[in-house]
Amino acid sequence: MTAVQSTVFYDSDTRRRPLITEFQNFWRYRGLIRLLVVRDLTVRYKRSVLGVSWTILNPMLTIAVLWIVFSNFFGRGSDLGVPYVVYLTAGILIATYFSQGLIASGSAIINSRGVLIKMYIPPEIFSLAAAVAAATHFLLSMIPLLGLQLILGAGIPWTIILVPIPLVFMLMLTTGIGLLIASAAVYFRDVLDITRVVTQLLNYLIPTFWTLSLIENSPKALLMVKVNPVYSYLVTFRAWVYGGEMPPAWNLAMMAGSGILALALGVFVFSRNWRRVVVRL
Amino acid sequence: MSQPIEARDVTLRYRLDRANVGTIKEAAVRTIRRQRKVEWIHALDGVSFEVARGEIFAVVGPNGAGKSTLMKVIARVLPPTTGRVIVRGQVAPMIELGSGMNPELTARENIILYGSMLGRDPRHMRERVGPIVEWAGVEEFVDVPTRSYSSGMMGRLAFSVATDIEPEVLVVDEVLSVGDKAFRAKSQARMNQLINGGSAVVVVSHSIEMLKNLATRAMWLDRGRIKMLGPADEVLGGYQTSG
Repeated sequence: MTAVQSTVFYDSDTRRRPLITEFQNFWRYRGLIRLLVVRDLTVRYKRSVLGVSWTILNPMLTIAVLWIVFSNFFGRGSDLGVPYVVYLTAGILIATYFSQGLIASGSAIINSRGVLIKMYIPPEIFSLAAAVAAATHFLLSMIPLLGLQLILGAGIPWTIILVPIPLVFMLMLTTGIGLLIASAAVYFRDVLDITRVVTQLLNYLIPTFWTLSLIENSPKALLMVKVNPVYSYLVTFRAWVYGGEMPPAWNLAMMAGSGILALALGVFVFSRNWRRVVVRL
Repeated sequence: MSQPIEARDVTLRYRLDRANVGTIKEAAVRTIRRQRKVEWIHALDGVSFEVARGEIFAVVGPNGAGKSTLMKVIARVLPPTTGRVIVRGQVAPMIELGSGMNPELTARENIILYGSMLGRDPRHMRERVGPIVEWAGVEEFVDVPTRSYSSGMMGRLAFSVATDIEPEVLVVDEVLSVGDKAFRAKSQARMNQLINGGSAVVVVSHSIEMLKNLATRAMWLDRGRIKMLGPADEVLGGYQTSG
């Protein structure tokens, strides 16, 4: 008898241990995650005529339009400390990262349906890979921002080395909420449309192209802006990418807290519900 | 006794909304109007069987009998509602070939990605690209996006990737009907090789004649229940005479 050495063993009685199973999977499947990210980038860049992905071109065009329209309004005599276009670009980049990451992560599972209903791959892998791809787009679109900073004399401060921190917390935030959206999207097709609308509204509620001085007399409006977690990512990113200073501690706390909480909650709820969701996939 | 596949009293049931509610809007409207008709579907009901090494286990039954659901339970995609499934070893599913392939990527990229999705090491897959395209007969097109491949080429490529290692468990859903005569003979030979190498094979097919030549044991499913389980000749014969 030739004994077949089994390294893989599946027992349906083994229960998923929420959080532990998923994080083990993230680690165990890191090779596949890397391939999925590369696939996403390859496909996007291969398809584009200009060699630049639309995921990067899209925010750049938005920035160009907003700059033309608002530079006279917000740019003049402002207390921004940097040229308006730098302030604007940093804002749009964070807003784009948030919405692209969330939508990519939220639609990843339904988009991989063809594979997921035929072979076993932990589905959470696809959401994480999509969010990582969005993070890569964010990193790539930072190149024009840093170029603007150099050209316009704003310079690049040492705090640039801290930028990976908001990047990673945003990755956690988009993966976590993305997983919640991903399981809901299996049941209801319009969940992704709703997500698109809601993220767009949330992005208007943070000072991307406008400045806080616009609403400084309205405590209610200020509160509405500040409870939005994405605001704290934006403040932190601006402080580190061109400000060369430390953001207020509460912004750092809110950023870290929302990222960790969203990831833990998203993974936990996903893990508890996947048995019920998968039969509908 | 530790067989590659053991299924004990496997039941899979789920709630299905008859009204086929697909959006939140519809769900809200129908809930308010009390139009939701939810019912339980028993896709599998108390199914028990074992598949040994080197065995070719055929699953037959009319449409909706639960064959595809059973394949998904073995492939670990669907967890059973009650009962227990144990699968020892790596499972290579070949259910509707090519679903893991992205048409924008080249054959090389697809092989590495597809193989990694099947649970293999990406580094190992990189080395296997050569033998895989050679076996599939597409070595000239290894760096061409697979969107320009014919469906036959895609089928050959996917089969070649899936059977590149010797999986302990091979799950096959109507795969042997893909490809021309020469390829069918070639894939048949490789299947035999896998089976002799110790794989447990589960085959679903509507082609009873083909299964008669291939299978050693068979199971006849009807509406989620086992109608007959035993030697292939008996079960397949019984199924055939039932109309």
